[in-house]
Amino acid sequence: MWIERRALAAELPAVASLGTRPLAETLASLGFPVDAIEARPGTEVLDVDITANRGDAMSHRGLARDLAARLQQPLAVLLPSPVAEGEPQLPVRLLARACPIYATALLTLGKGRTPEMAQAFLTALGAAPKLLPAVDASNELLHRYGHPTHAFDADRIRGAVSVRMARPGETLVTLDGVERKLSPEDLVIADEGGPIALAGVMGGEGSKVTAKTRRVLLESAWFEARTVRATAHRHGLHTDASQRFGRGADAAMVPVARDLLIHRLEDWSGATLEGAWTAGAMPPPPSTVDLPKELLTRVAGEPLHLAEAAKALKALGCTVEAEPGHLRVLPPTWRHDLTLPEDLAEEVLRLRGYEHIPAVLPPLEGPPQPLSRDYLQRQALARRLAHLGFHQTVTYGFVSPEMDAAFPGPRGEAADEDRAGRTLTNPLGLEYSILRRSLVPSLVEVAKQNLKQGQREVRLFEIAPTFRGLSRGPVETWTVALVWAGERWDADPESKAGPVMAKHLLGTLKDVLKSTNQELAIHPIEDGAFLVAEFPIQAFRTPDDRIIPAFTPHSRFPAVERDLSLVVPATLTWQAMHDAVWIALVGTVLVDVACADLYQGKNLPAGTKAWLLRLTFQAMDRTLVGAEVDAWVASALNAAESLGAQLRA
Amino acid sequence: MDHLLPPEIADADRAFPEALAACGDLDALLRLKGAYIGREGSHAARLMDLLKAAPKEQKRDLGAAINGLKNRWEEALKARQAEVEAARKATGAQLWDKSLPPPLPPRGALHPLNRLMDRLVDVFRPLGFHVEEGPEVETEAHNFDGLNIPADHPARGSADTFYLAGHPGLLLRTHTSPVQVRTLKNLAPKILEMGGIRFLAPGRVYRKDEIDPTHSPMFHQVEGMLVGHDIGMHHLKGTLEYALRALFGPTTEIRLRPSYFPFVEPGCEVDVSCPLCGAKGCRVCKGSGWVEILGAGLIHPNVLSLAGIDPAEWSGWAFGMGVERMAMMLSQTPDLRLFFENDQRFLKAMGGLD
Ligand SMILES: [Zn+2]
Repeated sequence: MWIERRALAAELPAVASLGTRPLAETLASLGFPVDAIEARPGTEVLDVDITANRGDAMSHRGLARDLAARLQQPLAVLLPSPVAEGEPQLPVRLLARACPIYATALLTLGKGRTPEMAQAFLTALGAAPKLLPAVDASNELLHRYGHPTHAFDADRIRGAVSVRMARPGETLVTLDGVERKLSPEDLVIADEGGPIALAGVMGGEGSKVTAKTRRVLLESAWFEARTVRATAHRHGLHTDASQRFGRGADAAMVPVARDLLIHRLEDWSGATLEGAWTAGAMPPPPSTVDLPKELLTRVAGEPLHLAEAAKALKALGCTVEAEPGHLRVLPPTWRHDLTLPEDLAEEVLRLRGYEHIPAVLPPLEGPPQPLSRDYLQRQALARRLAHLGFHQTVTYGFVSPEMDAAFPGPRGEAADEDRAGRTLTNPLGLEYSILRRSLVPSLVEVAKQNLKQGQREVRLFEIAPTFRGLSRGPVETWTVALVWAGERWDADPESKAGPVMAKHLLGTLKDVLKSTNQELAIHPIEDGAFLVAEFPIQAFRTPDDRIIPAFTPHSRFPAVERDLSLVVPATLTWQAMHDAVWIALVGTVLVDVACADLYQGKNLPAGTKAWLLRLTFQAMDRTLVGAEVDAWVASALNAAESLGAQLRA
Repeated sequence: MDHLLPPEIADADRAFPEALAACGDLDALLRLKGAYIGREGSHAARLMDLLKAAPKEQKRDLGAAINGLKNRWEEALKARQAEVEAARKATGAQLWDKSLPPPLPPRGALHPLNRLMDRLVDVFRPLGFHVEEGPEVETEAHNFDGLNIPADHPARGSADTFYLAGHPGLLLRTHTSPVQVRTLKNLAPKILEMGGIRFLAPGRVYRKDEIDPTHSPMFHQVEGMLVGHDIGMHHLKGTLEYALRALFGPTTEIRLRPSYFPFVEPGCEVDVSCPLCGAKGCRVCKGSGWVEILGAGLIHPNVLSLAGIDPAEWSGWAFGMGVERMAMMLSQTPDLRLFFENDQRFLKAMGGLD
């Protein structure tokens, strides 16, 4: 909201001698940060941020009130001479609870124009003057005092005026020229021909003041905040008026704003007052709130005197009665946000300045809680993958339907019949419309971008939830996905770069999946250009381990290694050989079976390959002798031969 | 005694040293080994057959000769194998041009946003804070109602919040604050034995913002919450002063300014003395020496009551921090989209590893 310096000083003369920078700092320390300061002809304007709870501060007068309380300086007099009311010139009926009071006046306009000063004020705030005194004066009052008013062309009003809820099927063309279909929840001002204004939001085209207008009917009313908010929201009409009524207007301003408007029209245009009158009565005042001393002390962090609190609250317009141990506080009519003791404590601290709050670490009242295993496991996994050369990515949780169809996800569902349950009602666009069931399509996309950017090797991973659309709603599973693409590049000029092969990713998976017996699946995407793997993270869960595992003794006697050079069928798997040898040597002191060398080449018969099988034996209690080892090696060879292996000649 | 051996064996033995020397690799060596001492069809196997067939009086001498021969071959093969293996290693060593930089092991990176969130957790751990997490798909009750956000609050609208088709009450959480609601509800029954509640909730959140240099429909927040006896603004200030000094350095100052969020009362914005210029004034702090870093306040009594915690006995504070905003400020990254582009060069430079 824009605030003009001179207009602020008109409400609080003390502001005139305050520099713009100290003024902005004072406003910020009261909870009204200044986003920008701009120069205007002969003055400066400040863009002040007003929080949603402070509708009362949405004007020069409103901010001046808080500044006056802080600076302990007096405000200017608001209304020197109230207008005397008379008999209604026109019946005004209040038919809805949402409008308890409606002050009005009938005036015949003169020939005068909007004064230069008022025009300059409106222009400085970015509100173009209309050069119609009735419109400009209402607008100027709104910015200066915060209470929205309206002027109707009295000669275009048919019969009695009522404030009522709209009737089904009624419409209204608002000032912006749009025809609005009204809802029975919209509060309207109506004449005998139907609605002429959306109460507290916008006037109607049919009754608006123009250059030809001779007589005006003024409106200064109080409309319930909730009703105005709903109407503004329903019609997408967020106006200066709806923002102020919608946050709660000051009912006490109803007659005051009407009188100020009359005075302006008399001054500016030479208007003649035909009569002023009010329908309805003031809404009930806010309730009193108690502020106990203990609560104030607790919130403030140090004992504050209730007398000091009372002084602060009075400065803000509250009526305060001191009672033993607490204050009994009646908030002013403009403060709808003061309903709890905490609200009052905040006011006391705010006026005093948050810089006076002491800084104290809260004492520990119970034992600290450990980090959850799930969380720790994810952190460890991310660190391990990063140390293995993978880069952690963060991609959006939603994807396009095409991307969603591209990969089945960590649980391997082939179909995507659950997609409806993962679809957003109001996505940013189709490309961000489905909660993803797999991280892979997003990762592959990122990998492609990286290759396009000239990266020789791309190693990426992401740890994020994936979604399944169940009937009760989407279910989330923490998931890890990896992609490896490009050349395997180890930065050693003496070793050759080569394409990434599945075994490289498998090795990584084996490392990070350690204790799981999950089947390690690598998926080649786009003919193997991208190797990917994806797993739900529960799969990694390890049993609750000890800090240090139970001691396992190791042998202090020498190990004996024996090699068997075998020619085996090309189709034979290492796992089969490994298992067969272990089974054949159960009960012996075999400690390892490894393939020490692989040979595939023209020296071998077709359909075969050669493995150098290395057996390691070691006993816990003695040095092994040649003969017993020979016997075990012979058994191993028998087992190998049963799989079609032959000793190489 | 060697005269007992057949001539072809003697020939083979004579040829052995040369054949052995000719074995340049392990494969050739293994084949030579097979030919001389293999179990079947080798010279040694023939000799064993010979020994079986030999007359009794020759057996002793012949046996000794055969053993001697076999041992010699075996030892020579073993020695040669060691040579071949050593040579293989030495080849590598000789090729090393010592003027070149040594090859480094591969090195990936954590994402800078995750790294920053981890850092925040590290900072709060010594104060007894643990980590709580919640789902990204939330109910309106957790995301709005439980946080004292009025039913007609504009943030609830479909212009601001993503909703799930087919599940009218479900949405993508717009902040990490629903984790407050979940955690308070979960822990309410054992709050006394736990001696209050204190946790951080880092996570991803969603808002319906078009993608541009300062907006993203998905971003990260870290929520912090503490509940105890007699908790006031001084505890909030003390904790944040400790934490922000741990993050930005011991000379860091913090500043609280009044503000408003429906789920706290009193509420405040927290500024930190500009870590980039040492509060002297720079482009990042717009010359003011201060940067806005988070929103906070004392937990609104309604939030505690709604979760089943008596606000007359318990009180607390909460804060919420935008991770991207902080990351951009600290790194002066000019465009938010860089964090979601995931260029490896960016990740390496900005995220790296501890
Ligand atoms: Zn700075």
